[in-house]
Amino acid sequence: MRKKASSKHFKQFFICIAIIIMAVFLLAPVSSAAQIKELKIGIGVDADTLNPQEQTTTLFQNICDLVYDNLYFQDPDGTLHPRLLAKHEVSEDGLTWIMHLQKNVQFSDGTAFNADVLKQTWDRILDPKMRVPLRFAVSMVKECVKIDDYTVQLNLKYAFSPLNATMSMALVSPISSAALTKYGEDVRQHPVGAGPYVLSEWVKGDRIVLTRNEKYWGKAPTVDKIIFKIVPEATTREAMLRTGEIDICYKPLPSNVADLQAQKNIIVEMPLDTRTIFMGLNCQKGVTMDKKVRQAFNYAIDKKAIVDRILFNTAQPMDGPVSPKIFGYVKMDHQYDYNPGKAKQLLKEANFDFSKTINMRTPNGRYLFDKQVSEVVQAYLQAIGVKVELRTYDWPTYVAGLLKPIEKSELEVFLLGWGPLFLDADMALYGQFTTEVNPPKGLGSSFYSNPVYDEIMKASRKELDTNKRFALLKQASEIVWDDCPWIWLHVEKFVLAYSSKIKNLVVTPTEKFYPTYITME
Amino acid sequence: MLNFLLKRLLAIIPVLLGITLLLFFMLRMLPGDPAQVLAGQMASPADVEIIRVQMGLDKPVYIQYASFLNRLVHLDLGVSARTQNPVIEEIWAKLPNTVLLALCAITLACAFGIPAGVIAAVRPYSWVDYLVTIASLFGISMPVFWLGIMLMIVFSITLQWLPAGGIGTWKHLVLPSVTLAAFVVAFIARMTRSCMLEVLSQDYVTTARSKGLKEKAIIIKHALKNALIPIITVVGLQFGLLLGGAVLTETVFAWPGLGRLIVDSILARDYAMIQGSILIFGLLYTLVNLVVDLTYAFVDPRIRYE
Repeated sequence: MRKKASSKHFKQFFICIAIIIMAVFLLAPVSSAAQIKELKIGIGVDADTLNPQEQTTTLFQNICDLVYDNLYFQDPDGTLHPRLLAKHEVSEDGLTWIMHLQKNVQFSDGTAFNADVLKQTWDRILDPKMRVPLRFAVSMVKECVKIDDYTVQLNLKYAFSPLNATMSMALVSPISSAALTKYGEDVRQHPVGAGPYVLSEWVKGDRIVLTRNEKYWGKAPTVDKIIFKIVPEATTREAMLRTGEIDICYKPLPSNVADLQAQKNIIVEMPLDTRTIFMGLNCQKGVTMDKKVRQAFNYAIDKKAIVDRILFNTAQPMDGPVSPKIFGYVKMDHQYDYNPGKAKQLLKEANFDFSKTINMRTPNGRYLFDKQVSEVVQAYLQAIGVKVELRTYDWPTYVAGLLKPIEKSELEVFLLGWGPLFLDADMALYGQFTTEVNPPKGLGSSFYSNPVYDEIMKASRKELDTNKRFALLKQASEIVWDDCPWIWLHVEKFVLAYSSKIKNLVVTPTEKFYPTYITME
Repeated sequence: MLNFLLKRLLAIIPVLLGITLLLFFMLRMLPGDPAQVLAGQMASPADVEIIRVQMGLDKPVYIQYASFLNRLVHLDLGVSARTQNPVIEEIWAKLPNTVLLALCAITLACAFGIPAGVIAAVRPYSWVDYLVTIASLFGISMPVFWLGIMLMIVFSITLQWLPAGGIGTWKHLVLPSVTLAAFVVAFIARMTRSCMLEVLSQDYVTTARSKGLKEKAIIIKHALKNALIPIITVVGLQFGLLLGGAVLTETVFAWPGLGRLIVDSILARDYAMIQGSILIFGLLYTLVNLVVDLTYAFVDPRIRYE
């Protein structure tokens, strides 16, 4: 009797187990269980804030993207994909943008994402009392008006056609309104967003840990937990990648790229970046006021040699005023190929005073091998008989020097980098070369000012037709390329080294990477 | 003794005040605008100005200093400009790591340095002495970052015995401690050797020998104890330096400590953070010195603090 009962018990038990196993198998594809438990990423510095409106560093905007998601996502080719925004419409004058929100989206704390939240986000961005360093990128927006629960309207001060791409910036990602009420401005330490990940641990100076957001509205991420490990020294990050202590190494040293590439179990990806590195030439003061001198300087420098020998090919010589990765780029017909003979001839035509010493400035450690690049440029200029004195500054001191108005400016030749935050030429061509951005109002420290150029750039902002806009950007590029307010040096590459087990890592030209849907062998 | 202790503790206050005064004005003499650094390269001047006002940097320096002192009296070191977190919290998160690393390094250094120095002094100009001398020369001359990277290549990459960086287990502590200790060990060994040589040539050592005492007793009880005062001074100073000056080792081994925090803050012109961390470092340094002074009394009964 007892035996029978227990065997019946067993039968029921096995049936139960079988049903559970079947259920797990059947449900698995639906809930798409994560295959990867943990991904460790070695980065150089700790984040200051995880409030997307405050963040200015690309890497932490990248982390913000994972926590908050984006309104639009711009893929490495520049195509925009709907995320928290489903679509938008623009009025004919370009001054009214209607934004349609994605429905059924909630933040990781359960708060619903709707027009009120998005309006609150815009109100915060536009509130002059709030700390929003990148506010200039949306300075054309006058106000945000709620139309209905899932529609808002942006009213613009002036037409700005690349506003759609601007929506891919972390700057405009919404924060949960409940979290804002709960934490106030302390939300920067307690980020709550609608992205695929939630912040689960932040040990200052050591690590930032993200775990999968179970309430994420989109496709479930394949990685359960992402650990950003703070390892300041690039060499150490590389060592940790080799020993398997981390899976992804952010920005290894260019000098070690070849060595890392030779490792079988490591992949080095280095897409071209949006950031251009250049020697600014003061167009309103000193010897570089003369266009011929500026062109001569461009011929005097072998940019290819700099890229090969100083930067270990982690850059590419510029062949237009913007990076090839962004909309509006055109390879220029005329190239300033290395030609010291022509440079000397141009200087002669300009009656250049060779007895004068030119003052050259460079930051040290801000960009890849910045000081070394400057030293080589100095050597090339000296080779055609130009006396150059090079001075090195730390970054805060350097920036202070860049921002002085023309009367006080001591700038002659200076190294700087400029990287548009999304794949559009506006931030480069408008943000560096229009009269409007001459210091102290902006960081167009070459003091380039050309009314014709200004007009074309203004027209490009109003132009909603892609092809026509492209033509305008091309026209502007040709003008500025000929005028040479810069010694056009190189476009940087974004170097990321990772374990060869990782597949489908999305790496963008804006120096971001998304491990959300990777697979691992 | 208690009186002495009180006096010394009170004396710390003017020292720290001096530090704040110097630091506060020197920092503000540095070129570079913290608000600009914080806002980033692309920010518009208007937005930079907003941040400057928020940080209170638009006010005259003496008013800034007064409000800094006022907060300090209430044990408030202010808020970091970079992270907006209370400075004390940020320091508190890093301080235990720094102290742990410094303690390990100094213990290692004493454990190897003192015996090495004693052995070298007991057999001067022997092969042991030369070995110790050459080894300490190496230890002193090797740049910390180079040694760190070499150790990492051998023990992390090639042998895969120890992690290359980070914190967590005792294994993470090994390489940075050894790297830090290398310099100090050499320093202590050389110091011990010269002090011991001096003491060993004293009359009372000869007397002890002629009394028929065992050599071991002479060296440890009579000689070493008397040679200890300068060694303690060196150990104390080195420990003090390790607390704030381990920047390179911390950087190489991704060790989240105070040194790294100070350097990062200087690069970001994070005034409150620099002031806070240097002040804490100064406090620790003076405390270590006090402890060193107190140890003298234990080692040498002739020294009394009244």
